[in-house]
Amino acid sequence: MRLRWNPIVRKDLQVTARSMRLSWGLFAYETVLTITFLLALAVIQQMSRGFYSGSNVYGYLIYLFPALSIAQVCIVALIVPVITASAISGEKERQTFDIMLTTCMSPFSIVSGKVMSAMLRILFFVAAGMPIMALAFVVGGLSWSYLLYFVLTIILLSLLSGSIGILCSAFCRRSITAVIISYVFYFVIYGLTFLPMLLRTFFSRNGYAGESMLLLLFNPIVFYEEFFMQLMAGESIFGGDGSHFTRSEVGFLTYHLAQGRVWMFLSAACIFLLAFLFLLAAAWKVNPMHSSSGRRRKER
Amino acid sequence: MLYINDLTKNYGSFTAVNHLSLHIPEGDLFGFVGPNGAGKTTTIRIVCGLLRASGGSVRIGSTAAAVGSRAMKRMIGYVPDFFGVYDNLKVREYMDLYGSMYGMYSRDIAKLTDDLLELVNLSDKKEVYVDTLSRGMKQRLCVARALLHNPSLLILDEPNSGLDPRARVEMKELLKNLHSMGKTIVISSHILSELSEMCNSIGIMNHGQLITAGKIEDIMQQVAGGKRMHIQVASGMESAVRIMKEQAGARIESVRENEIIILFGGADEEISALIGRMIQEQVVLTGFYREEGSLESLFMQLTGGGEQ
Ligand SMILES: Nc1ncnc2c1ncn2[C@@H]1O[C@H](COP(=O)(O)OP(=O)(O)OP(=O)(O)O)[C@@H](O)[C@H]1O
Ligand SMILES: [Mg+2]
Repeated sequence: MRLRWNPIVRKDLQVTARSMRLSWGLFAYETVLTITFLLALAVIQQMSRGFYSGSNVYGYLIYLFPALSIAQVCIVALIVPVITASAISGEKERQTFDIMLTTCMSPFSIVSGKVMSAMLRILFFVAAGMPIMALAFVVGGLSWSYLLYFVLTIILLSLLSGSIGILCSAFCRRSITAVIISYVFYFVIYGLTFLPMLLRTFFSRNGYAGESMLLLLFNPIVFYEEFFMQLMAGESIFGGDGSHFTRSEVGFLTYHLAQGRVWMFLSAACIFLLAFLFLLAAAWKVNPMHSSSGRRRKER
Repeated sequence: MLYINDLTKNYGSFTAVNHLSLHIPEGDLFGFVGPNGAGKTTTIRIVCGLLRASGGSVRIGSTAAAVGSRAMKRMIGYVPDFFGVYDNLKVREYMDLYGSMYGMYSRDIAKLTDDLLELVNLSDKKEVYVDTLSRGMKQRLCVARALLHNPSLLILDEPNSGLDPRARVEMKELLKNLHSMGKTIVISSHILSELSEMCNSIGIMNHGQLITAGKIEDIMQQVAGGKRMHIQVASGMESAVRIMKEQAGARIESVRENEIIILFGGADEEISALIGRMIQEQVVLTGFYREEGSLESLFMQLTGGGEQ
């Protein structure tokens, strides 16, 4: 069997390539990156001039990388859900969704095709921002391989935010509602993963954290903190040289996961799993054989 | 070909389709008629796997494929009662998109697209953006799209809604054409006159129930009260009216200055005898004609005259 594009991905890319939105999006993306770059540069120059006048500006240039990366991460996290949240409800509004469901496309391939096309679109932007990123790397003195890692994390993040968007899209009738709900959903995920830890700190007296941090594996923000920490300082946010936890402070699992880079990779896997679950849920919801009421479009 | 057995669909406490059983033989051009809200679209959507039935079963051909399964979807071409378009997609690409959704290869789709566009008379629109087509063209494109995977059953939900008379004629020709090519076709519609010209069998539905179904001639036979006849009379109106009143099986519908309209279910011999009697009694006839039994009148009778 030949490997083929998901038809939806191909169509979506074709359609967006023809619309002005792509051009404007690219323009906006590049503008934000450029402004971030200039701002970061200005701040760095201020810093190197201020206290220790005459100190070496190049020592600070390494901060260009996190500044630009965080800007991109934020843009990706904000844009991808918008694209996918309107994906299913948009097809429903255009009344093309039913036709799609009568073809041999399985609900899962419809849903994943939508997410994939959103990911590819955002990767165009990221690719277009590469020269600026590369500059930040070179002057900041970081290894090339980190750039690859960064792109991989962006793919992961866009997968997660894309599947959150598509899940909301599957449940909401209107695109606008889906977009709003997916942002809410986003923050709920960020918040919920901190919940066990907060409860622990409030209710336990001895300061023993147990395994209450494990949920943070699913938290993309913590993942990125860890990622940057590993990249910039070569150590984990849980402390340098293995772990600063003592076994009496945290549970067995947390203690061991905080060693080396284990947390980072495991967290990536967890986030991937979460995204996959969202995709499955969206596919389940979209399948007309599963919803007994069978929502129908409003009459013209 | 299509076997619907005891199909039921409830929306909450409302029953949209109520124990519907129907068999459509292979090669039929079947007209599915009913007033607004009768449950036609609901039935069709269940058959196409877009809606889960509350009860009953649907089967196509001799296969045991379940509704909504891939095997079933391959056998059905569905033209919905709306037309969804993407902006920025050309006719050729539109066909390619749906072809690839059936797992076909672009090269094969391209070949098929040429043939199908020729069939629906859109060959010259191949490179045109879909959203710029006229309604009639979109509808025909939709038919071409539904034929891409060579389904054995083509289901059209109100293919004529929103089309002008010319586009309707074109659509009708297209469907007749497809029928002669051996496709089994199901059309839902309110426009009965068109169905009676085109279909060879019909089913009438109301309030979610199938009232009657069968060959169109058989159904016409059922037009109760017989056929409507217009008799133009120049003089001798009184005797004409008297004869009509005496005639068994005839019912006077209206009497105007020089025309009597009667409903008469008699056979051809009885009709000629009736005319003979009028001539004998010095009634001067200037005209006589028999209305074709119309599907409309049948429809009105069966559905109790309109919407629920
Ligand atoms: N999602 C839904 N929820 C509740 N009731 C519904 C829903 N969809 C359809 N119905 C009801 O089911 C009944 C049948 O609708 P359906 O669309 O099948 O009728 P129809 O025969 O296709 O009518 P039309 O000629 O107007 O297209 C209608 O009374 C409608 O109000
Ligand atoms: Mg309908």
